Amino acid sequence: MNVTTSGGDLRNAYRFGAFALAVVIGITSLSAKMVSLQLLSGSQAAQAGDNTQATGTDTTQASRGLIYDATGHPLVKNVVDFSVTVTPADLPLKDEPTVAARLSSVLSLDPIYIETQIDSATGSLTIPVKIADGVSSEVARFIEENSDQLPGVEVVEASKRDYLTKELFADIIGYEGQITALQYAKLKALGYSSEDVVGQAGLENYYEQDLRGTPGTQTVALASGKPIPGLVTESKKAVPGDSLTLNIDTSEQQLAYQALSWGLEKSNVTRGVIIVENPQNGKILAMVSLPTYDDQLFADGISQTNFQKLLDNPDQPLLNKAVGSQYAPGSTFKLVTGTAGLQDGVIDTTSTINSQPFVAFGGYRYNEWDGQGWGPLNIYQGVAYSSDTFFYQLAQMVGLDRLTYWADQYGFGKPTGIDLPETATGIVPTNAWKASTQGQTMYEGELMQAGIGQGYDVATPMQLLNAYCAMANGGNLWQPQIVKSIASTDGTTTTVTDIQPVLLNRLPVSQDTLETMRVATRQVVTSRHTYNLVDLPIAVAGKTGTAEFGVPDRLNRLPYHEWFVGYTPGNPYSDDFTKPDSQLAVVAFLYGANTWGNMATEVVKYYMMLHYKLPGYRDPTNPRTAGYTQSWIWRTTNYYGSPNRD
Amino acid sequence: MSILNAQTLRLRGWAPKAGWLAWRNYDFQLTTYAVLLTFFGLAMAYSNSVGSSHLALTINSPFVRTIMWAVVAVVVLGLTTVFDYKWLRSFSWPLYFINIFLLLVTLRLGSGTGEAGSAARWVVIAGFQFQFSELAKIIMVVVFAAYLADRQPTIKSPGTIIGILVILVPPWILVMLQPDLGTSLVLVATVCGLLFMSGASLFWLGTLATAVAAAIPFVWNAMADYQKARLLTLVNFWADPSSVDTQGAGYQISQAKLAVETGGLAGKGLTNGNVDLPVATTDFVWGVLSEELGFIGALVVLVLFTLLIWRLLVSAWRSSDPFAMFLACGMATMIFFQVLVNVGMVIGLMPVTGIPLPFITYGGASLVCLAAGLGTIQSTNLRRERPEW
Repeated sequence: MNVTTSGGDLRNAYRFGAFALAVVIGITSLSAKMVSLQLLSGSQAAQAGDNTQATGTDTTQASRGLIYDATGHPLVKNVVDFSVTVTPADLPLKDEPTVAARLSSVLSLDPIYIETQIDSATGSLTIPVKIADGVSSEVARFIEENSDQLPGVEVVEASKRDYLTKELFADIIGYEGQITALQYAKLKALGYSSEDVVGQAGLENYYEQDLRGTPGTQTVALASGKPIPGLVTESKKAVPGDSLTLNIDTSEQQLAYQALSWGLEKSNVTRGVIIVENPQNGKILAMVSLPTYDDQLFADGISQTNFQKLLDNPDQPLLNKAVGSQYAPGSTFKLVTGTAGLQDGVIDTTSTINSQPFVAFGGYRYNEWDGQGWGPLNIYQGVAYSSDTFFYQLAQMVGLDRLTYWADQYGFGKPTGIDLPETATGIVPTNAWKASTQGQTMYEGELMQAGIGQGYDVATPMQLLNAYCAMANGGNLWQPQIVKSIASTDGTTTTVTDIQPVLLNRLPVSQDTLETMRVATRQVVTSRHTYNLVDLPIAVAGKTGTAEFGVPDRLNRLPYHEWFVGYTPGNPYSDDFTKPDSQLAVVAFLYGANTWGNMATEVVKYYMMLHYKLPGYRDPTNPRTAGYTQSWIWRTTNYYGSPNRD
Repeated sequence: MSILNAQTLRLRGWAPKAGWLAWRNYDFQLTTYAVLLTFFGLAMAYSNSVGSSHLALTINSPFVRTIMWAVVAVVVLGLTTVFDYKWLRSFSWPLYFINIFLLLVTLRLGSGTGEAGSAARWVVIAGFQFQFSELAKIIMVVVFAAYLADRQPTIKSPGTIIGILVILVPPWILVMLQPDLGTSLVLVATVCGLLFMSGASLFWLGTLATAVAAAIPFVWNAMADYQKARLLTLVNFWADPSSVDTQGAGYQISQAKLAVETGGLAGKGLTNGNVDLPVATTDFVWGVLSEELGFIGALVVLVLFTLLIWRLLVSAWRSSDPFAMFLACGMATMIFFQVLVNVGMVIGLMPVTGIPLPFITYGGASLVCLAAGLGTIQSTNLRRERPEW
């Protein structure tokens, strides 16, 4: 190679050109990036109203309304909860150990634990995996500030529900959960986002829009499209959600819970309902549906395993069976048949119908429940003995149209309007209903079955109780109400709105008819049909019911539900059921009970004893003496010996 | 390797030639661009001194100190311009060993400041902090240029590349030990740029680059964990969990990007920046500049840098002396690389490394050394033997 210290061959024009090109490309890339940073994101900042600072609008969630019991004790609190999540899709696999190590140093967690959490997450990679919650605000802020060093990591600040009463009120209060597609479609117009958490059950669901409040907005400075913590320039305050006060007192709910769980335990039944209502205004004083669940599990973020366990339980713990499931009402439905007979003038208080071992009709035998009958019975006796053959014949005399008319008047087969998600509304079989579901009209035998609340008839415990309340209060069908009042606040002043009783229906029925039915239901007790309630120092009236369902066992016996609807007069010690002044009505329901006698009457009795603090009452807070002793049960109850369960 | 024998001839020719400096060859454009860039640096220093709260200027404020250093830089520029650059080629090896000595002194006596972490990069001389790694960049340009000029006859051989790497390694290791990843990267970049421009074999350069790339995983795996951690600490503050604090690199980066974004087209105006930047006077000065002077100011600065590099390349192209040409190419590479990495780092195109922005970043050593480098280039311009065309 020719080498000189001067001349063109030392200077390589190609290499000079390449160098110059590199400089041009390098500076151009820098300029291009500057254009995108300063001019393109800058114009967005100008649109946001501030031409020197990139800003964005952020919504602040309003604090959710609280829930209090009748005496003002809080049932639900809000607690601030910072949690740290990792979205696997946003975290490159190669960075995972680094990010885990960084997180472990600030969260004081084992990095292996963090990696395991991320790796063991099932489902979509875009679903954030929770790494830690209950994180302090300092750590949360630090992680947010260093988010570009922590790909995929996010701090979620949420107000968490703290359900103080757990299982006791779970079926009433419910829980919150991620908004579903269906809910989002409905709530979108109200400003909900697809990532919101909304009430999914109970009052949390029913009063969602009241509890939610109005979200506030705040203008925050943005860095690379992400808000900078602490640089809030302007804000509109969020308005807290409305608070609810229930008609239910925690202590009353505890009594009902205690009575029902005792009854279920003693009769080896897993599923049951007890509801207490004031017949005068429809206020619900207690409502327990067992088995239930711990709603705090949902507030804490329920695990898939636990959730699946709840879903797989055949007793449907997540379902409030008081308003969410329907069962054949059995003999309790005789209220409707009796009212229809009396009010339509088919019978009067003196006319009798012959009760027999069975009624033969259309080639079938319709049996008396005790297989014998009592001979001619008037309406009082027919109700008191709960004679099936009496009511088969009465139903035939009344006719299908009038029977369904009165069922409808009592509120069967339609929503009660209670302020809970009411997923079951019962069925009152009519010709039209049967034609639309089975393609044929009702047989007369089916009418006879309907007369005693069997066959196609189904009702929710709430419907049944409400119907008896209408009888007990003189013909007013009130809408049941869980919530007594709603307190709304605009931040400074609080307005309390009492929920007024809503009259669903004024039954077109004479007071004489209802008085007859009340006295008849009292005779259920005094005739010792229920066997056990008569020895109480208070006067209880009511109606038992047993509804067979399902598949017969090998002795050709069907499993059956047990019902008892009981109520007391205005003065429970007066034994005067002529006046429509009842203040307390209770329904107890046991699903698939296998006791000889009617355990539901025992549950109601125990509840009454606890409620009225009657002799025999044991301190429910003392676990050793709570409820009945074994010998006491032996002496006073019928559930070992009485056959009068119907 | 002979050190001095080739330069004796040039010693003889120095005295008579000193009289006829070709002042018409003085590149006024080059000096103008450098001075304008220094004014931007002064503006940034002013902004940092005064701040949005309009503090009174004190003798120790960055602005006053930068003015003092700028005066020194002007003097250095003049002195290096009249000084015959050929002496540098003669004394390149003594300069090399002085450089290594100074870097050793820095390691032994150096102290860090809280601002730039705990790295030992400053030596305090007579009350003035001095950063010898800045001087090292210039000295190494001279040493590499001299070496490559000497290697002209065999420039295409792989020995050229091996030799220059042997020269590079001792100062490089000393810089890495400070630890100063930024300067070490600048040294490597200068070597690469110079090898390319000197006409070294592209085949061997490519082979070497491939070998280095292929060796990285093996070297990494062979290193002990604490060594890896130490290396990672240089580029990534998160690698050292004990340094978790809100002044970390991640915070700097996000704040710097915020500052750039909020600058907009025209900027907020000098001293009106309101984004909190922890090291606004030094490595992240570009964030302040973009925020306060906006896209227009930033573009002007980038154009000035481009023009400056262009003048350096023109100077290299016109020079008759390979040493002079390599000096200009080395300066061009060094400045270009620093601009690219510093600005790229602030706007999120490059990783965080402590590389100053020439002329703009607050720092006397950097400014004076740049003045010395540019003065030397002017010196080559004045002593150009090639006729103008």
